[in-house]
Amino acid sequence: MQPSSAPRGKIVVAHPERKAQRSLQRLVGATLCPVEVVDNLDALLNLVDDQTIAIVDAGLAGTRPNLRDTGARAWIAVPGEGLAPAEGPTIEALLTGGWTHVVAHPMPILAEELIATVQKVIRGDVFGLEKYIAWGAEVRSYTLEDARDRDAAVTALAKDVVSVGLPDRVGSLVSVIADELIANALYAAPLDEAGKRFRSGEARDRPRALAGREVVTVRWATDARYLAIEVRDRWGSLDPTGIGARLAAGGKQANASTEGGMGLPLAYACCNQFVIGTAPEVLTEVITLLDVRYKPTELGRSASFHSFVGSFGEPR
Amino acid sequence: MKIGRLDAEIAGARLVLAGRIDDSAGALGDLVNHLPVGDVVIETAGVTFVNSVGMREWMRVTRALRERGKVTFEAVADVLITQMNLIPEFKGAEVASFHAQYVCPSCGNEATPLLDVSVHGPELRAMRAPKLPCPECGSAMDLGDFPERYLSLFRA
Repeated sequence: MQPSSAPRGKIVVAHPERKAQRSLQRLVGATLCPVEVVDNLDALLNLVDDQTIAIVDAGLAGTRPNLRDTGARAWIAVPGEGLAPAEGPTIEALLTGGWTHVVAHPMPILAEELIATVQKVIRGDVFGLEKYIAWGAEVRSYTLEDARDRDAAVTALAKDVVSVGLPDRVGSLVSVIADELIANALYAAPLDEAGKRFRSGEARDRPRALAGREVVTVRWATDARYLAIEVRDRWGSLDPTGIGARLAAGGKQANASTEGGMGLPLAYACCNQFVIGTAPEVLTEVITLLDVRYKPTELGRSASFHSFVGSFGEPR
Repeated sequence: MKIGRLDAEIAGARLVLAGRIDDSAGALGDLVNHLPVGDVVIETAGVTFVNSVGMREWMRVTRALRERGKVTFEAVADVLITQMNLIPEFKGAEVASFHAQYVCPSCGNEATPLLDVSVHGPELRAMRAPKLPCPECGSAMDLGDFPERYLSLFRA
């Protein structure tokens, strides 16, 4: 077997606690990328270059707002003290500050999420829910043929989820997440040549055949650890730089007199991991992961967030 | 009365809603014209789904009603109370009772019991959810989510 030809660079972990350093070193060492460990930001910055994946304790990251101004392949914030869940305000502050990779949850989710994130960055292979779900789990897919199929797709998905034994609570969350992601793909994603979101004001009960760039696909799978929902559009128009701040603002930006803006924050509030993949002008993929192993209170109060930009070949 | 996929029943100053508050609820605001000016009670135990477009309509109608008198929310559905907790303008809203997701640590049962704010007010204002008996095994059930998701609007 030949190793991947993608440049692997190096990983630098910055964490003040020795125990956490060891855990993180083992985790990302699984990628076979060289790993260096430091306990402060100055030492980290001495090691960071544009091929470095920097993994930083969220608490440390919060002490230096312009940390990400230093060019790196990726900046990833991970939970702080004792690898407990990251605090909600810490996550909010990092998202507002433009961090594009923020891990909120403790072990073992931290391990699963961090390895997937680092490998996606290393390999430049950023699309597909399969990266989060154990091999063997069946992936079910729906392709909407008309904009009015949204309700049917959401209903079918929620029914499927409950039929595999997941609780009604999860079915209810799935309904909201899928509805918002599909609506975003149908009405917010399409851009005209002037950059205007020309479907945003369209009546939601209006029929519209979905072909070519208008195609929207929904896939889901569960492996009894996660329930993953993936929604793709063919526009690649979601701005990956500003979305974190929008998600962090959540309902605070809600205003009954304005249109749009609440859908993605609502989907974010309903899930445990929110992952965006963008191939500009080609494809946007949003994956939400719901952890179905643990009580919500055993996880981070805010969801993790990841935003990747990559290239994409022929859509499935 | 039918508003999209939402059933609305009005009896005097009492409005009972059941179904989905979604993109089809654009005429929700018309309910203001069917309710008497002054204090009203809105019961939403039968609401099964709320999306962001529906939430915007919900904000519009409740804002209009609050300008005319006191609005008391009764038996607020689980799917609605969690979203109302995301929106700052609902902080301090007059919620008389609401459903919340509970989990039994003994038998794993999940349920959405009704919490009476007049009974549990001091705990709720302190951001603590009361323990409630499990309908299956009788053990004490815990709130199944972070208190902030249900109780932020009660915070003292």
